[in-house]
Parts: sequence; C-alpha cells; structure tokens
Amino acid sequence: MIYREAGQFKTSYAADQAIFPILQDRIAVAIMMVVALVVIPMFGSDYFLEIIMINVLFFSLAAIGLNLLTGYTGQISLGTGGFMAVGAVSSYKMAILFPDLNIILIFLLSGLFAAAVGILFGLPSLRIKGFYLAVATLAAQFFLDWLFLRVDWFTNASTAIEGVPRSLFGVTITGPAATPVAKYYVALGFVLVFALIAKNLVRSQVGRAWMAIRDMDIAAEIIGIRPLRTKLLAFAISSFYCGIAGSLMLFLFYDSAEPDLFDINLSFKVLFMIIIGGLGSILGSFLGAAFIVTIPVILTNAPDLLGLPISSELAKHLEFMIFGALIIFFLIVEPHGLARLWQIAKEKLRQWPFPY
Amino acid sequence: MTTSTRRIGDTLLKLEDISLSFGGVKALTNISFEIKEHEILAIIGPNGAGKSSMLNVINGFYHPQEGRITFRGQVRRQMRPYDAARQGIARTFQNIALFKGMSTLDNIMTGRLLKMKRNFLWQALYWGPALKEELEHRKVVERVIDFLEIQAIRKTPVGRLPYGLQKRVELGRALAAEPDLLLLDEPMAGMNVEEKEDMCRFILDVNDEFGTTIALIEHDMSVVMDISDRVVVLDYGRKIADGPPEEVRRNKDVIDAYLGVSHEEMAAE
Repeated sequence: MIYREAGQFKTSYAADQAIFPILQDRIAVAIMMVVALVVIPMFGSDYFLEIIMINVLFFSLAAIGLNLLTGYTGQISLGTGGFMAVGAVSSYKMAILFPDLNIILIFLLSGLFAAAVGILFGLPSLRIKGFYLAVATLAAQFFLDWLFLRVDWFTNASTAIEGVPRSLFGVTITGPAATPVAKYYVALGFVLVFALIAKNLVRSQVGRAWMAIRDMDIAAEIIGIRPLRTKLLAFAISSFYCGIAGSLMLFLFYDSAEPDLFDINLSFKVLFMIIIGGLGSILGSFLGAAFIVTIPVILTNAPDLLGLPISSELAKHLEFMIFGALIIFFLIVEPHGLARLWQIAKEKLRQWPFPY
Repeated sequence: MTTSTRRIGDTLLKLEDISLSFGGVKALTNISFEIKEHEILAIIGPNGAGKSSMLNVINGFYHPQEGRITFRGQVRRQMRPYDAARQGIARTFQNIALFKGMSTLDNIMTGRLLKMKRNFLWQALYWGPALKEELEHRKVVERVIDFLEIQAIRKTPVGRLPYGLQKRVELGRALAAEPDLLLLDEPMAGMNVEEKEDMCRFILDVNDEFGTTIALIEHDMSVVMDISDRVVVLDYGRKIADGPPEEVRRNKDVIDAYLGVSHEEMAAE
C-alpha cells in the first residue's frame, strides 16, 4: 500500500526518464542523503567511518567503474587492481612533484592517467572476447604490478607510496592527521558525483551503445556503432573510475602502502563485488561493495558480541568459511545479484498487501 | 499495391557481376540487379540459394571478390557494416538480433544512434542540450512505437517478449534509423497468419508513408506475390529470374528450381 505508483501520472518524456520516477523512491533517496551527509558524520564512531564507510565508498567507486566495463559493455577485466595502482601512484607522484596543486585536481588527473593506461590495455578487445580478453587484462595487471614494484622512479626509491597530507579550504583531508569525518566527506563527494555521472551515461546513448555491444556486437555494428571506439571509451571511463578509487584508497584509507597492495587479489575483490551486487547495475555496485566490505567486519566482531569464547585463529578461519558460503548462497539464490533481489522486492511491494 | 500514390523512382542500388566465394564454395556467381527507389523488392530462392549472402554483401558484412556496387550513384569501396548504416542502410536479421538485456524502448533508441550528435561529456551531465536531444529522439521513437502498436511493451526487456513481438521490435529499431534502404531477412519466418498479416501491413505502410525502399527475403510465396513490386529469384548462387511477380510465377526456371526437375525429363527435352 505504501509503495505505489498508481495515481502518479507522467505528462512529459522528461518525467518518464527521471532516475527515480516514483515519488516514494525520491523520498527514500532524500532520506538516505540526509543520513549520509548529516547523521553518519555526526553520530558515527571513528571506527565505523574509517573501517566501514570510507572502505565501502572507494570500493563502490571502483565497482561502478568495473561495472561500466564488465556489466554494461560485457568486457571482462581482471586489471582493476592495476588501474587502481596507476591512479594511486600517479596521484602520489603528482602530490610530491607539484606541492601547490589542489588535491581534488590531483585525484581527477590521476583518473585521466589511469584512463590512458586503460585505453592502451583495452586495444586487444577489438580482436579478442570473453575469457581471452580476461587473460589479456590479467597481463595488464601483472605488468603494472611489476612496473610499480621494480621501477624506483614511481615510488621515489622507497618501499611504499604515501598519501601525502593535503588540505582543502584549510581542513586537512588526507594523510594520517586528517580526521575520519573530513576523509569521509571527500570520499562521499567523489562517489556521489561520479555515481550520478555513471547513471547518466548508462541511461543515455553512450550506455545504450555499450549495452548493444554487450548483448550482440554484430547487430550493434549494423546500426552504426563502431565497436573499437565504443569499447575503448568504456575502458577509458572504467579505468578513470578505478584510478580515482585507487587514489582515494591510498590517500583516505591506507596513508602509506606498498605498491603490491594493488595486486590481483584486489582485482578479484572488485569483480566479486559486481557479480554479487549485480552486473549492469549502478545500485548493484554499491550493494556489492557494502556486502564484501561489511560481512568480514561483522563476522570478525560477531563472536565477541555474542560472548562466544572462540580463539581469534578459529574466528578468522570461520570468517573465511562463512564468507565463502554466503557468497555461494547468494549466487544460487539470485545469480543476477543483490540489485535484482531488490528489484524483485520492489515488484512484490507494489502489490502488497493485495496481490491480484 | 499499385493503387498507392508512390512512384518507383531511379536506381538506388546497383549490383553488377557480384561474385562471392568462401574458399572453394561459390556462394554467389555473377549476380547483377538493381533496387529502385521506393520499391519493394523480394529476393526468393530455395534454401542455400545465397539470399542472405546477398543481403550481407549489400550490408557490408561480406566483401565480394568480384563485382561493383553502386549506391546512390556512388561506387562503393570495401566498407564495414557501420559505414553502410551511415549511408542509410538498415536491416533486420533472420534470427532475431535484438539487445536482449535492454527494454523495447532502449532497443529502438539505439536505432537513433547515428542521429545523435552530443558527445559523452554532455551525456554524462544529462542536462541542457544533451537532455533536449534525448527527449527529441524519444519523441521520434515514440512515433515508431505508435506506428508498430507496441506501446504496452515499451519498458519490457525484449528477452521476455514472444517471438512475433521481438520481430516487430527489430523492425522498429531499423525504422528508427530512418533508412533509405531497408533490408529485411525473413521478416515473417515462424509467424502465424495473423502476425504475418500484421507484418505485411507494417511493411506496406512503411513503404507507403515514408517512401522507404525495401528489399526483403521471404519464403511465404503468397506474401511475396502480394506485397512485392518486383521479385529476384536466386538458385545455387545464380540469378535465374527478375521481374514482376506475375511474370516470375510463370517462369519455367523458377518452377523447376522450386518444384525440382528430374534428370530423365531434362534428358528427354
């Protein structure tokens, strides 16, 4: 009864094409905005903000990026970690080399570097598809890992790259001295803006061209889509997102990290996020990131909260087992991800409590 | 359809001595014919006669080893299918080639792709000129949707639609591109009588209202004879007849190709 679109008539195509055409959705989104912008920073503990929220935010950004490429354009990529490394390393280098450059600008430029690298490694996608492309992007991952580990110039001959402290409007927002609230706002700002942009892209002609390539590349060519250009644009934009996510990960969360933090495991982690969240769904990217980030945290803390006397080693093993089981469970229940579950729930809710 | 006001005009597409082979297999041998503006041309022939290969040649999928293709007075070089789309050639496939994960509306919107000029940076904003353009094209697409009477399935993912409707959506996507030449590969295959009648009506209406030139492949002879202005018959990669339906129907080679002719008879002749 509560969630109904009955009586909400759309009189223009603009209204019909809105992101949230249903009034109840708009109210829910407004409430979530207030929670994200006011309630969480005011009442969230530092632990909650740093370990959960910032983590979820930069992973969401990476997941949106990979989802644009894999979920919307159908090009499987295992190079996410490498592209995130390009973002992190280039923003570190820029912060060191140009001390006066605005940190926001640095993040955006690091995205552009990652986009350029993404285009380069996206070139094989014209000729190869599916698993073979996955292997080609895997090569990108290994090459970039090697490059940042072995070539001293990238790390300024130290073992780690650092999130250089910087401030914006007089508030320190990066580095160890920055407060979690400041970091949270920076991450949230990036994620909100780029999630909106991603949503706009996928509901306009660019997105339709991507999905056309994904669903049937021959038919896409017939209606005038140039496959290479379309795929490379997807690689570029996807890597742009991943690059910024990598920068945020270094500057807002780790503060200091060895380049091999961005290894193949990270690529797989982001891939799991979009598979569990839902391929081809912006909402799914958020749900997947939240799932993968929060479940281990909950599992780690669960024995203490329940007062179970389990040794920390056993707890760690249990965490892995339960986590794995949960992933398999969700994939069996709904192969199309959490976003699809949410969609089904909404459809059910529309008829509740009087299904006909 | 001689009653309509449309006039068959000059040659739109001219094929001269087209030969296409895959290794040792000759798919098309020395085929020449013309497609005239505003006409409905049917290409018929038994299975494996080379009909679909013919469309693929016109469309830029296959590159014939020999022959010349002239489209709107210009000799065509080797081209890719998206170049053909740019020049105003749209087509549908024998096996439906829709984008299954997208809604009917989105599928038909992809047909407008070449008409939309704003780059991705504008589209990222979805505001101002980009929004205006999107809405303008939505209007055109809605006209196509009205024309094909598929308003009710606008937001349905096409993968869930029944076969007949999918064929209709595919026609819609081709129409949205406002093509000069529309190639239809078996638009009525696997349809029941009612669906066939609907499809015939749409084809005739498209031709009549928008003056679109149509080249179609079809197996249902009654349909071919009823709606086409001219029929080209292929058999074993060769053209065996070309003319108005009544004439083709009486052509001896055509009857032989369709009904088969025994070798004794041939020897006796």
